[in-house]
Amino acid sequence: MADDRTIMGIFSDEETTLSAVRALKETPWSIENVMSPIPSREIADELSTKPSRVGYFTLAGGIIGFFTGFALSAYTALQWQLVVSGKPIVALVPFFIVGFEFTILFAVFGNVVGLILKMKLPDYRGLADHDSRCTGACFCVVAVCPVSDEQKLLNFLKNSGADTRILS
Amino acid sequence: MSENANPLTFGDIDRRVLATLAPASRGYWAAVGLLAFGVLIGAGCWAYQIAAGVGVAGMNNPVAWGTYLINFVFWVGIAHSGTLISAILHLMRASWRNPIVRAAETMTVFAVCVAGLFPFIHLGRVWMVYYMLSIPNQRNLWQNFQSPLMFDVLAISTYLTVSTLFWYTGMLPDLAVVRDRSTGKKKKIFTIISLGWTGAQEQWRHYTRAYLFFAALATPLVISVHSVASWDFTLGVVPGWHSTIFAPYFVAGAIHSGLSMVLTLMIPMRRIFNYEKIITIDVLENVAKAIIFTGFIVAFAYGTEFFMAWYSQNPVELEVFRNRPFGDYAAGFWIMAVCNTILPVVFFFRFARRSLSILFMVSILVNIGMWFERFVIIVTSVSRDFIPHAWGLYAPTWVEFGIMIGSFSLFFFLFVLFVKHLPSVSMTEMKEMLGKRGGHGG
Repeated sequence: MADDRTIMGIFSDEETTLSAVRALKETPWSIENVMSPIPSREIADELSTKPSRVGYFTLAGGIIGFFTGFALSAYTALQWQLVVSGKPIVALVPFFIVGFEFTILFAVFGNVVGLILKMKLPDYRGLADHDSRCTGACFCVVAVCPVSDEQKLLNFLKNSGADTRILS
Repeated sequence: MSENANPLTFGDIDRRVLATLAPASRGYWAAVGLLAFGVLIGAGCWAYQIAAGVGVAGMNNPVAWGTYLINFVFWVGIAHSGTLISAILHLMRASWRNPIVRAAETMTVFAVCVAGLFPFIHLGRVWMVYYMLSIPNQRNLWQNFQSPLMFDVLAISTYLTVSTLFWYTGMLPDLAVVRDRSTGKKKKIFTIISLGWTGAQEQWRHYTRAYLFFAALATPLVISVHSVASWDFTLGVVPGWHSTIFAPYFVAGAIHSGLSMVLTLMIPMRRIFNYEKIITIDVLENVAKAIIFTGFIVAFAYGTEFFMAWYSQNPVELEVFRNRPFGDYAAGFWIMAVCNTILPVVFFFRFARRSLSILFMVSILVNIGMWFERFVIIVTSVSRDFIPHAWGLYAPTWVEFGIMIGSFSLFFFLFVLFVKHLPSVSMTEMKEMLGKRGGHGG
């Protein structure tokens, strides 16, 4: 919003970031984003992020894959009913192996599709305000406050041990 | 150790890895040129084979499977330890693998690419490859999915797809690090391929979960791939092939050779790029310990094969297993036995596990041994089939040697290009390892 200020605090380590996030939650200002060079369970817990649902895509892919693999083998065998080594035309054991390979393949496709959809990738818009330090050695907290509180938030972040940057 | 005297920081890791992406020296391009020449030799030999027919290779009746399938199994095997390191050790939370995970994953992708060429080369009439794909045609002909060869087509193509996606996904945060520290055309390229990664918690939330699923899916896949490769042999009734131990035997052998290739690649890379503080001697020591373990499994499998031949008292099996250590290919058998089972025992000694020259030498010798293992399995079995008057011998021709030189050159060519153009160490996973130990700062 036009009446809001978005300010980034850049911290040198995870512990300081975590303390700042905890303290920010006690203020009237809101945390818009936290960027880090490594995944942090502590920060995620503090932000109360829910578990990712990528797994549903993976599971769906796996199930579709198994039946696709099995159906493809059965269909192709039925099109040209050639008996091999006395085995049944629709042979369960070898077709299970085909089903297994397709399960893994489609589950991975599901995983990638889930990742792309959930992370909304590729998304280059976030790079406009991106600070290169946030992928390197630093942890970045983006907080939003009313314009009138700009100085207070800047001081708050500085006192928490951060370098600051006004984004908008 | 002096290499552990000053602990690394996040900034150190970035600086060291990004330094490897600096413009290359003339020596580097000379090495690339030499390897490209090797690739051209292989391509030329393959082109000659396509023009003249597969008869220019040494394969004959009864030895219809020669170096093309030996190299196929060898390169699939090399690929396996990359997945072991990236997926299985990830699930086991073995953080010592973090410094070598990227290079091992890359090794997997390139080794599967090289392996995937050999069925095409072996086909002879390579343009008939579409018969292996489910493409409807007017004669309503389809593949036979009851054949282990079709399992292999599926397994290898799945493995290549999965390992490539796993490799790229794992690299995403590191590509963003390179993007943020480069300029000009390089920045543009890395901006596109890093897909807008910023390290936001929302991204990490989905990424870590997806990465875990990748690892969980790659683990059964890697075991299935070499099991399926072993069924190419065991589902035939050829003496020396028709054995129930082949699947675990092949998987263990694959990891044995792959771990050795990891050492073969990591030791020079560590030296050339000054990675001593990242790829520490402790990491290499752990790989050496794993080689002892896989070496013993392989030794047990060799012993079991002989035991089963003796226990069955089947004269055909007995002849095949007498022929291996004492017949026409005895040299290959003894190279296999000594390099794969006896030499790795040296790693019981700590000084050997921590000596770069011993690690490097043994890793190369184990790979030579593992190549001969595939030679012994494939060639000695079919050359001594059921009927003595149908026995025969096989020797590779210059065309096969040329293609083999091409395959090794292609693998190292791709790897050498990779190490100078993409981050060869996973900066993110190194930082995670450091984060757990409490190291930070820039």
